[in-house]
Amino acid sequence: MTDDAPRRVLDIITEFANIGAGSAATALSSLLDMELMNDATTCEILPLAKVSDYLGGAKQVVAGTYTYLCGDLKSGVLVVFPSDSAKALLEHLTKEKVEIASLTNIQLSALKEVGNICLCWYLCAVSKMIDVDMIPAPPDATVDLLGAVLDIPLASLGAKVDTVIAVHTSFKALDRQFEGYFLMLPEESTLKLILDRMGESG
Amino acid sequence: MREQRIVGIGQMATCRAPDRLACLGLGSCVAVIFYDPVLKIGGVIHALLPKAPANCDSDEKYVDTGTRKLVKELMAKGAIKERLVAKLVGGAQMFSNLSLSISDIGKHNVVEAKKTLKELGIRLIAEDTEGNRGRSAYLSTESGRVTIETAFAPTKTI
Repeated sequence: MTDDAPRRVLDIITEFANIGAGSAATALSSLLDMELMNDATTCEILPLAKVSDYLGGAKQVVAGTYTYLCGDLKSGVLVVFPSDSAKALLEHLTKEKVEIASLTNIQLSALKEVGNICLCWYLCAVSKMIDVDMIPAPPDATVDLLGAVLDIPLASLGAKVDTVIAVHTSFKALDRQFEGYFLMLPEESTLKLILDRMGESG
Repeated sequence: MREQRIVGIGQMATCRAPDRLACLGLGSCVAVIFYDPVLKIGGVIHALLPKAPANCDSDEKYVDTGTRKLVKELMAKGAIKERLVAKLVGGAQMFSNLSLSISDIGKHNVVEAKKTLKELGIRLIAEDTEGNRGRSAYLSTESGRVTIETAFAPTKTI
């Protein structure tokens, strides 16, 4: 779609995602009672085939929570934890030993809820900023190969485009091994709306 | 030297023995894998969606157009349609609780692949499809066997 998108447009989207990810990291910090720090947001225009490489390779095992916005803004939003971070997160929350290969229903539900909280705070912050209502579908979570987790998010965009804008913000704990990232995959119409509301006619 | 070529989403590739073709992390995507045992030539398409709309210029993204294009390319390289055998991998339902129309796209991909193979008259001899787990598939052009890895289950070969 936007092979010729100027860098400025990417900068605006980056700023937009920064606000969202900042808010989500704050929520996650208080939920988990640990200090989290956001890394810089990066924003890339990628062909469908390259998205998983950009995120570190299709074969890594991750926990992904995905939702799709179906209001005025149309975008896929994902929260991804590498499997060891997901394990640490669930053990911290449930105070029991977690086997990531065979999560119980309660554990999967907890994972989904953490994702849900992150996604909602992310969306809340950006929706306030640009004054647009966002209606997320109830999220779902799975633990699997990254490439497989990305298929549905990419399939929802892939019918219209061959390249996507991937907006990536990672976060990590200051005092222990814990990390993850947010990924936003907006539709083209949504990009225009964001740019418009952020004071750029794009 | 044996090489391994990775086939990403919306891509296809062919190769001859002893090289290998791989699709990593297939979720709802489907890999349609072809093999001509006499020439020891193989081809793989990693398709995202079932049916191409009219006037679509990226054939490889879709099961129906991509499969046809791949078979044509294999035949141009000397493969004979009657000799070709097909295997299918992928088409899982990754987010089963998601109430979106796209969430059972994996199943549609598999159905479309079988329909296309039938229309082309190519035998489907093995499959590892649907379910709710992601898979990585590796085609050996030495043997025509496809090795399938998942996140947690043991590796298997079809």
